[in-house]
Amino acid sequence: MDRMKRNKLIIFLLVSPGLIFFFAAVLFPILKSVYYGMTDWKGIGDFNLVGFDNFVKVLTDDKVFRESLLHAATLAVLTVIVQHPIALFFAIIIDKIGGRRETFFRAVFFIPCVISIVVISKMWVGIYNAEYGLLNTVLEFMRLDALKQDWLGNFHIALYSVVFVIMWVGFGYAFLIYYSGIKGVPEELYEAGLIDGAGGWQRFRHITLPLIKPVIWVNVTLAIVSSLKQMEPIYLMTNGGPGSTTQFVANYLYIQAFNAKKYGYANAISVVFVVVCLIVTVLLQRVFRDRERGEAS
Amino acid sequence: MKVVNKLWVVALALVMVFSLAACQGDSDTAASPDGETDAAAESQAPADDAGDADEPVTIHFFSNLPDRSSGMGELEQILIDQYTAENPHVTVEVEALQDEPYKQKFQSYVAGNELPDLCMVWGQPSFFQAVMEGGYVAELNPDDYTDYGFFDGATADFSYDGKLYGLPRNQDLTALFYNQAIFDEYDVKVPETYDDLMAAAETFRENGVTPLSINGKDKWILNLFFQDLLVKVSGDQDTIYDAIDQETSFAGDPDIRKTAELYKDLVDAGLFQDSYISADYASAMNLFLQEESAMFYMGAWEVGMASNEENSEHFRENVQVMTFPTVTEGEGKATDLVAWNGGGFAVSASSAVKDEAIALLNYMMLPDHWAKIGWETGNVVPGQDYSSFLTGNENQLQMTITDILQQSTSMSGTTWNDYAPGEWKTNCEQLMQEYSAGIVDIDGFLTGLDEAVGQ
Repeated sequence: MDRMKRNKLIIFLLVSPGLIFFFAAVLFPILKSVYYGMTDWKGIGDFNLVGFDNFVKVLTDDKVFRESLLHAATLAVLTVIVQHPIALFFAIIIDKIGGRRETFFRAVFFIPCVISIVVISKMWVGIYNAEYGLLNTVLEFMRLDALKQDWLGNFHIALYSVVFVIMWVGFGYAFLIYYSGIKGVPEELYEAGLIDGAGGWQRFRHITLPLIKPVIWVNVTLAIVSSLKQMEPIYLMTNGGPGSTTQFVANYLYIQAFNAKKYGYANAISVVFVVVCLIVTVLLQRVFRDRERGEAS
Repeated sequence: MKVVNKLWVVALALVMVFSLAACQGDSDTAASPDGETDAAAESQAPADDAGDADEPVTIHFFSNLPDRSSGMGELEQILIDQYTAENPHVTVEVEALQDEPYKQKFQSYVAGNELPDLCMVWGQPSFFQAVMEGGYVAELNPDDYTDYGFFDGATADFSYDGKLYGLPRNQDLTALFYNQAIFDEYDVKVPETYDDLMAAAETFRENGVTPLSINGKDKWILNLFFQDLLVKVSGDQDTIYDAIDQETSFAGDPDIRKTAELYKDLVDAGLFQDSYISADYASAMNLFLQEESAMFYMGAWEVGMASNEENSEHFRENVQVMTFPTVTEGEGKATDLVAWNGGGFAVSASSAVKDEAIALLNYMMLPDHWAKIGWETGNVVPGQDYSSFLTGNENQLQMTITDILQQSTSMSGTTWNDYAPGEWKTNCEQLMQEYSAGIVDIDGFLTGLDEAVGQ
């Protein structure tokens, strides 16, 4: 076995299937996108090489691209400061309930995650509808007519309406990850805390929170990365409108490629988008690693 | 141990070979979009031995009408079935997708130079020009169609550089559908002028009725509404095209500015339903079909709603249609229409069964087939002269649309959002929606259009 490890050829052969798959399925398409990003291809016919013009335009002169990133950031921030604390809260509560009810609630919270995103988007479009939607009807019933809105058509609030749906859909996953993290905390620690006279908040603050920290990092990273990648709910609910007030990068590049027929430019957007995602992921990892180190020392 | 090691190496090498082979396989399938095409290509081979009519032939027909049992989809299917019954050696494989997915798959077929034998196409520069320019569709012989009764200019958008590449299947025009019962109930005058329309909006709003439903999420319909209004203001179909051709400018043309003001006043008066910006085609139309809105602005291709038995009898009896209201101080007449030949068919230039595909196309488009059967079944307003096919059994919408077409004094041709190729469509529709929603003001809208024209 040792000899096998020493033999470079064997090591190469061992890793080659994975590497080949990576090159063929990931790296090659990205490189091809870089190439098409340097053209003015319209998806049909001949094209010319235009150097880095498209990339420069994406980075310096594309208002919608910047807005799309800003919307992703808004979604990420709201997810982390609104959805996650609630998910964590429910994870703790449900962990405490125990028994059949625990299983029941766990399943209920996860339901939105297993329903098709098409169904969910269409359902919320119905709920938000200004004429016959459930939300406005309920507001009217509660005599809160002043709060009635065209939830997806009013450009001041459309983004938040969409963000709410995305958070609602993703709630089950965030909840489940926190829940399993909490399940992993040994019961003895809580008992020891109890004996030492720690109250509920203190047990949470000094036992639960430190021990589920890795889970929190994972959850936050997932939330931020998925915020960047949102596509289906946007396409199905608003298609980025009104104007581009609910636009996200993936949907925007889709529109540029298939509606505006700017394949070259859309490829440039996709490459810049990949780079942005990579930078964000690396930064997040670094932040979390530094924090862990800081705490360890 | 040695033997085990060797076995490992062999196993890994095999895995590698297979993974490479798999990659190769993938790219093969990517090149031919689906099994159907492969099957078609195989069965096409014998047809190359030209002449023998009994050789089996398979024609791949690509349609934007997935509903094959009503509307134009039904008409296509009736004619295809009729053709295959008369020509048993011909098999027609239909692949149908909704408009947007259709456009995308069409693009990928074109990119791979694998366009299906007979395809639906939109005769609009934004869609068709690059396809004709690139030589992806087969040239048709105009002499074959002298007796087909196409309306004057109907084939213009399917021609490029003096050559004919496609045939139009229907006459499109915008129309204002309205529900007579709702107008009667609130004692509102059916709007013949802009002021009537404004007054109707106000009265309906006061009574909690939605005046007009429109699908603003889809954007293009707002552009058509704007063009209809502009034609009634300027009286000149060329006003908007001159601005796109940069002979004038959007910001500088007084008629366009006036229209933008009038349009915004209508929006602010609540003419459209509350959710119009986020409403898609189905939900806007549903409001009208459910008699929740008094009017519905759409293309005349919806004439079938007066005979569709899924709609209530009350609705079917009360639905009416008219042209866009005139503007009192404007130059345009009610008979100046926003009308164009949108959909049509073309044959793939790379088709192995090109002649058979053209034969099928010619068969389908015969006046006795497409225009006659289409009109009689109420499935289409044909792009061909159908006056001799009037039966007297037409629904009220079909009759009014026929009158409107016969009395028209001018037609716009391709609408302004589809007038220029490439990104113009996306940009001008986006600006139209932003202006409607109040995201940009009138100056932002008009100068934005001028900038979009320059791109």
